[in-house]
Amino acid sequence: MIGGHYVYRNKNAKKQYGTGDAAVFALAGVDLTLDKGKVYVILGPSGSGKSTLLNMVGGLDSLDSGDLIVDGRNIASASKKELLRYRLEDVGFIFQFYNLIPDLNVEENIQVVSEISPKPLDIDEVLKALEIEQYRKRFPKELSGGQQQRVAIGRAMIKNPKLLLCDELTGALDTKSSYAVLKFVEKMNQMYGTTIIIITHNEAIADMADCVIRFKDGKVASKVDNAEKCPSEKLNL
Amino acid sequence: MKLNKRYPRSIRSYLSFYVSASVLTMVTLLMFFLFYTSGTGVKKYADDFAKRNNRQDAQFETYEDIPDEAVKSLSSKYNVVLEKDHSVNFEEPDGKRSRIFKESKQIDLCEVTDGSRPSNENEVMISLGYAEEHDISVGDKITVGKKERTVTGMFLRPDYLFMVENESDTYKNVDDFFLAVLDDKTFDSSFEEANVIYKVIYNDASKESEFRKEINSSYTMLSYLDADVNGRIHYVYQESDTYILVSWILLATVPFVAVVLICMILSRKISKEQKIIGTLSALGYKPRTIMLHYSIMAIIPGLVGGILMSGISLLVSGWFGKLTEGSFEPMEPDYSVPLPIMIAGVVLPTIIYYIAAMLVTRKILKYNTVTLLSGSVGAKNAGKKIFTGSNLKVRTRFALRSVIGNPGRSIVIFLGIFLGSTIVCFGNAYYDAMEVLADNPQSQIGTYKYRYYLSDYGEGIYDEKTDVLINASFEAGTDTTVNVIGADEGCKRLNIIDKDTDEPAKLNDGWYISTLAAAMIDVGKGDELSMKNTLTLEDKKIKISGIIHNDYDVFVISSRENASKVTGIDPKYYDCILSDESIDFENGEVALIITDKTAKKQMEMIADDFGTVVYTIILLGVVICIASLYVAINMMINEQAANISMLKVLGYKRSYIDTMVLRGNHILLIPGIVLGIISGAGLMKFFSDELVSVTEMIMPVEITLRTSLITIAVVCVCYFGSLLILRRRVDKIDMIESLKDNRE
Repeated sequence: MIGGHYVYRNKNAKKQYGTGDAAVFALAGVDLTLDKGKVYVILGPSGSGKSTLLNMVGGLDSLDSGDLIVDGRNIASASKKELLRYRLEDVGFIFQFYNLIPDLNVEENIQVVSEISPKPLDIDEVLKALEIEQYRKRFPKELSGGQQQRVAIGRAMIKNPKLLLCDELTGALDTKSSYAVLKFVEKMNQMYGTTIIIITHNEAIADMADCVIRFKDGKVASKVDNAEKCPSEKLNL
Repeated sequence: MKLNKRYPRSIRSYLSFYVSASVLTMVTLLMFFLFYTSGTGVKKYADDFAKRNNRQDAQFETYEDIPDEAVKSLSSKYNVVLEKDHSVNFEEPDGKRSRIFKESKQIDLCEVTDGSRPSNENEVMISLGYAEEHDISVGDKITVGKKERTVTGMFLRPDYLFMVENESDTYKNVDDFFLAVLDDKTFDSSFEEANVIYKVIYNDASKESEFRKEINSSYTMLSYLDADVNGRIHYVYQESDTYILVSWILLATVPFVAVVLICMILSRKISKEQKIIGTLSALGYKPRTIMLHYSIMAIIPGLVGGILMSGISLLVSGWFGKLTEGSFEPMEPDYSVPLPIMIAGVVLPTIIYYIAAMLVTRKILKYNTVTLLSGSVGAKNAGKKIFTGSNLKVRTRFALRSVIGNPGRSIVIFLGIFLGSTIVCFGNAYYDAMEVLADNPQSQIGTYKYRYYLSDYGEGIYDEKTDVLINASFEAGTDTTVNVIGADEGCKRLNIIDKDTDEPAKLNDGWYISTLAAAMIDVGKGDELSMKNTLTLEDKKIKISGIIHNDYDVFVISSRENASKVTGIDPKYYDCILSDESIDFENGEVALIITDKTAKKQMEMIADDFGTVVYTIILLGVVICIASLYVAINMMINEQAANISMLKVLGYKRSYIDTMVLRGNHILLIPGIVLGIISGAGLMKFFSDELVSVTEMIMPVEITLRTSLITIAVVCVCYFGSLLILRRRVDKIDMIESLKDNRE
């Protein structure tokens, strides 16, 4: 349900890896609220906690303390079964290295999600929107990086998630492919009103966001709304 | 070198692989070691025992007594040791049967194992097996020769290591039969009419034939029994040779498949590390250093499995050896594993794994570093495009494609199922064979209830409720004693059904051979068989017209007239009666009685005796099955870790992930089990063929419904059990870590 004024709220979220002297606070008390339907870009150096935040929001990992509220539900206290359902219905992931299943072709890599989703989008519509219709019978190894990432976007979007989480989605792509991929992410946001969180090192991508969040040492260093969003094709990548 | 630090880390990461591969190596080699040490232990003991107690080369009976002077002159003339052996048989008041000996001085000496020899008429020394069976100790009193005597000691004799009462018996009897030795004076004064047989040791084998001919011409040979066909002596060698043969056959099959399986898994694990290999190569590591690094990691299962196997075989070889010597008189064989073989057991698998890893790493290193870093070596789409147009659910397509599209991985899992099925089926087929042998003797031998071997010839017919036969002993092939039988064509009580026509054999028209004799001598229908009369040493030739299905007796059979031409016995005479009812003969008229129960009981006893060994094979088969399946499925889950984590991220339920990743391999179960059963039957057939000359039995190769069901059940339990255990590993796959690994 995307009904509230926010899609995501994080209260004093903490996550620690390791113990004793080796302890690292990946999240050292994060307070953050994100509104639905917007594009957020999270920037920060390596180890600043942005990927950890994404894993928490995506229900891949759990907080040590604090709350993580999505649409009124506290994900931090959700059971494994609830998290599974949350990942299935509410969240779409896009990774830097695509993580497509090599034994499945393009169509099947998307169908693998649509088959288990309660209200999937039409696969032909998604393939068409992503301009990968002609590759539908090809296997990941037969595609370029940019094409593979578009398939990954399709796989993430087919379930029509509330949240699309993108972890360095252009990190492994050349400039041309990066433009294309970002264009489709933007298109998904416009077509389906999906809230999008993009984690990146690339400062240029920040211009296409509604809001830019900077992380440092496991905390939110700044959160700035973009007065004027830049269309993806005009980014200076 | 910093690379060394990867060894403990790699072991920790792949602990379950190293454990299961080590167990698989250990168990498959252990099967060989247990059978080998049992066989060689007993054989060496029997050889040493025979040597120190002057075991006979043969024993014979003559129609006329050989005077003491003649014994001396014959000994000198033919360079033999010749000695008379005196004994009497007694039915004791308590129902036990004793065979009392005058102690031999030159051949088949009594080795006193406990106590001392008797010195007066009130003392007796008895056979060790009987004493142990009945808890008789030195100082106890027992009735021997219908007189109560004090037991002064126990003994073993080299011609009675396998304690059978009659030469034709095939299973020991220590329940109600024993040997006893009295002092010479008591024996001579107590028994005026003792049975006399002659025992001989040939110091010059070239003179054996001449010696036997002179004995026959001068004293008329009544019987001649070579040590090689004397069950009391031969059976020890027969069983030990069986175990040695079993061990070599097992070594050539089971560890071979297991080693191939482990080598394949090692190869796949190394191939999976191609990015690390590429990185090391990019960092400037020499190919030789990288190959050495992976080869050293690969030797762990061989080294650990070999060392474990050596340790366990040291612990259990004595126990297993004792299981296998159940048929014999109590012996003290040395079942220790010979050091060179133990070293080979550790070194060989280690070297094989080392070489396998070396070759795979070398092959990978032939690719350029960029290709290795991209992780694309070995990535093929062959087989992955199937079902693309299918209406099957994607998860079903994925499951099928991951089996068909990854032939290497599927072969490993198939081999695990196949290996387990083969061993379990073989163990059960072996057991079935013993059961069938125990169940079927009379249907193959004939319908008679009693078979009487007469001390002298009868003439004409006995009565209408009997059939009469001519019997004579011949030697054929290598050390095979064949019974030459002459029977009437209408003989009803002996199975003389021609195997090919299913009609009664036409005895008047030719010679028929039993299936067992045909297998032992390696002759068939239409072949000519050369034989030598055991008593006269005359050479005879017969042509085989047909085969009679009898896996228990070694014989050739024809009409009494035809048999007469070969044996020299007048066709109007007979020396064997087959009867439906018991016949009361005068004392001494019958040399040997065999009843319809005898063969069945003896076969049942053999089945029981082998049962323990067979259960051991089945138990080891189950362990091999579990280990091989565990190691194969474990590998599959490791290889699918990235897919599993991605499916979890996508919100897949555990049951769906199981379907996609684990259940697809179920389709390998059926061909794996079917081919395993066929392979088990093939192994059994090979065994049966190889063992026929050793065991003097044809072990039927029949895969019964029971064996098939047990094999299916055991393999399925092992397979699904392994899946159940390893399913936890699927649960434990961390989404974030696996995705990170994939990123690397």
